Amino acid sequence: MSEKGEVDLTGAKQNAGVWLVKVPKYLSQQWTKATGRGEVGKLRISKNQGKAEVSFTLNEELTTIETIGEKTSMVRAPREHPFTLQTVGGQTLAVFTENSSGQSDAEASGSGTGSGPDKIALEGVVVQRAECRPAVSESYMRLKKLQIEELSKPLRFSQQLDKAVTTNYKPVANHAYNLDYEKRKKEEGKRARADKQQVLDMLFSAFEKHQFYNIKDLVDITKQPVIYLKEILRDIGIYNVKGTHKNTWELKPEYRHYQSEEKSD
Amino acid sequence: MKATSKTTNHKQVINSTSYSAVMTSLGSQGSSSSSSTEYVVRVPKNTNKKYSIMAFNAGDKVSCSTWTQARMERDMSNRRIYGEEETQEGAAGSEFGKKQREEARRKKYGIITKEFKVEDQPWILKVNGKAGRRFKGIKKGGVTENASYYIFTQSADGAFEAFPVHAWYNFTPQAKHRTLTAEEAEEEWGRRNKVVNHFSIMLQRRLREQERGGGDEDEEEGEKGAKKKKKGGRGGDLRIHDLEEDLEMSSDESDGSNGDDDEAKAKAKKEKGAKGKGKKKKKKGSDLEGFEDSDDGDFEGLEVDYMSDESSSEEEEPEKTKPNKGEDVPKGIDEMSESEEESEEETKNEEENKEEEEEEDGKKTPVQVEKKKKKDSSGESDSSEDSDIEGEAASALFMVKKRTPPKRGGGRGSAGSSRTGSRPGTPSIDNAATSNTLRAAASKLEQGKRQTTVPSSETPAAKRLKMEPSPQSSSGKSTPQPASGKSTPSASDVLLTEDAVRRYLIRKPMTTKDLLKKFQTKRTGLSSEQTVNVLAQILKRLNPERKNINDKMHFYLTE
Repeated sequence: MSEKGEVDLTGAKQNAGVWLVKVPKYLSQQWTKATGRGEVGKLRISKNQGKAEVSFTLNEELTTIETIGEKTSMVRAPREHPFTLQTVGGQTLAVFTENSSGQSDAEASGSGTGSGPDKIALEGVVVQRAECRPAVSESYMRLKKLQIEELSKPLRFSQQLDKAVTTNYKPVANHAYNLDYEKRKKEEGKRARADKQQVLDMLFSAFEKHQFYNIKDLVDITKQPVIYLKEILRDIGIYNVKGTHKNTWELKPEYRHYQSEEKSD
Repeated sequence: MKATSKTTNHKQVINSTSYSAVMTSLGSQGSSSSSSTEYVVRVPKNTNKKYSIMAFNAGDKVSCSTWTQARMERDMSNRRIYGEEETQEGAAGSEFGKKQREEARRKKYGIITKEFKVEDQPWILKVNGKAGRRFKGIKKGGVTENASYYIFTQSADGAFEAFPVHAWYNFTPQAKHRTLTAEEAEEEWGRRNKVVNHFSIMLQRRLREQERGGGDEDEEEGEKGAKKKKKGGRGGDLRIHDLEEDLEMSSDESDGSNGDDDEAKAKAKKEKGAKGKGKKKKKKGSDLEGFEDSDDGDFEGLEVDYMSDESSSEEEEPEKTKPNKGEDVPKGIDEMSESEEESEEETKNEEENKEEEEEEDGKKTPVQVEKKKKKDSSGESDSSEDSDIEGEAASALFMVKKRTPPKRGGGRGSAGSSRTGSRPGTPSIDNAATSNTLRAAASKLEQGKRQTTVPSSETPAAKRLKMEPSPQSSSGKSTPQPASGKSTPSASDVLLTEDAVRRYLIRKPMTTKDLLKKFQTKRTGLSSEQTVNVLAQILKRLNPERKNINDKMHFYLTE
């Protein structure tokens, strides 16, 4: 990993100039649908009486937009897109790439165990900024209209139901859950007091795992009646009233031996 | 827009001309005034490279072509905040079911903690290695929400390739110089009216840090610097080394109150230019150790001898402590000291300085103003002035004048070093009142000596200076010392004789250190070793009585 972080500066050395172009969302969506080598259209650069004009023409097959809903083939993306050129201004915009070799999702590698080292390379410097605008046409207007309609729908909306919903809660003599609970209780029966030594063993092994325990949790673990358990705990443990671990039981210091994770009796 | 189009035009013309040959003339519309070429645009699909934009601010003047090497990695410093590192699980310190309980609690209160996403972390870019620049690149949000950015590069076959921009990072340069923390900034803000020399602020901070690293000084040193530092402050660091060396040289002479060169050095650093007062510094160290930041209590136990003009030890203390409390001292004193500092600098120019010192003697505030003006005119920020001079003026008035330490001194390394070497005994001139001018004269002498003049010129200059101040001191200052005391030293400073020593000891009890200070090597022409030897012999002959004042052995004679 010694190479990690090393930036490949070949692009900067060559002073490769690139263009930064702002492209509308629908167009970029169409571009992702390109087939083959990825040819999406043609860029025409012309010099018209001293002014440069750049225009992009979308390939025919990419103009069909798949939309959700009824109007599918009616709307087509416009083909002509003149570019509006702007200067970079004083800003220096450099382009760098991350080659996350083989890693599909960067987030996955974000846990820190990143498999392949990211190769960072400086590709070049932006020399020209441009905005790709669609040439205004009927089809474009329709497209826009559709988009606006989509977006203006609220995420949540109210819908009137024909029939009242009656399937959720039915009045019942006793709920299923309750029945199960009572059955379980009956089976377990009252907790019997086991041998003190056995209970102590159980407690010590529990305290080996964690230092602080709630009384309820201990009851659960040892399956002893609360009063009996409390008596035993009073012998070997202390009850934390204040502090961070409130209302928890912990072993007395003489019984504790956490460094080596042993319990001495 | 016109201008831009022209530039783009230019580029495109180049492009066209270089690639038009490659391109087939598909759809080259030809009209006489326009020519166009068509390029195929491709959006490569299978690239696993993610393109991002690195944006620099215009004012930072970043040019990628000047980079020889660069390293960039994610800044993971936020991980621990977001990561919610668990305290140890199991065994000691853990509760049963704590995790579940915490989770339940969070859900109940609706606390949503953001995940730590590596993708969103800022970049740290280091250019040109250790000595180069550092940048931090913070991700800009909202870039890909409504529109997508694409990078169009021209490939070898003349076609354009468009790559989508994954993220946009704004890179800002990171300051390599030290900055103040919030608390320190607030402190300085409170002092802004009192501190004239703002360059010293960072210097003091640095010194303070060094102190803490060394672990022996207290903050006084830092404060002390406050006033002292002048423009030369920044250079002070460089000169510190000189000073250290000088101090070590001169430390031989002194008995070394602390005996620590470190302390002296540290102090010297502060004083920037520690004018060779190695001894003084050491003394200061010891004296200062016990002092607190506040002004008031510091001078209570100090002896103030208004009659003698050679009570160097006492005067040194107040003078030393004075610097420390830069802030707390009333404005007048600050101005005074500052003006003194300024005057010190100018002392290098000699003649003019003399006038200033005299002025100082005469009046307080007006002097400061004038001094400041003078300072401006001289424009020489060569510090290493005698803090004594400053101290004198103040001490005369308040007896609390600290000696404005050599302060900025640092600056001109040479000056500083020469200074230290040349005036081991300057502190001796720290007498109240009359000593102001004396000291000024002395320091000026030293400076003059250092700079250009031959050592021999010192003597006449010293004599001259000493004569001048005396009338002044008697006239203006409320200084307690009589002018008469002034005139005598002129001769004694020059020769290390038994008479001279006797005179000193009769007038006032002195320590050996004080005596040594009186007989500076430059004045007497003896080396430090010789001075020590001769002085020892003289003392043997005189056999003065001893008294312990302030835990120091003082000699005195009664006749």
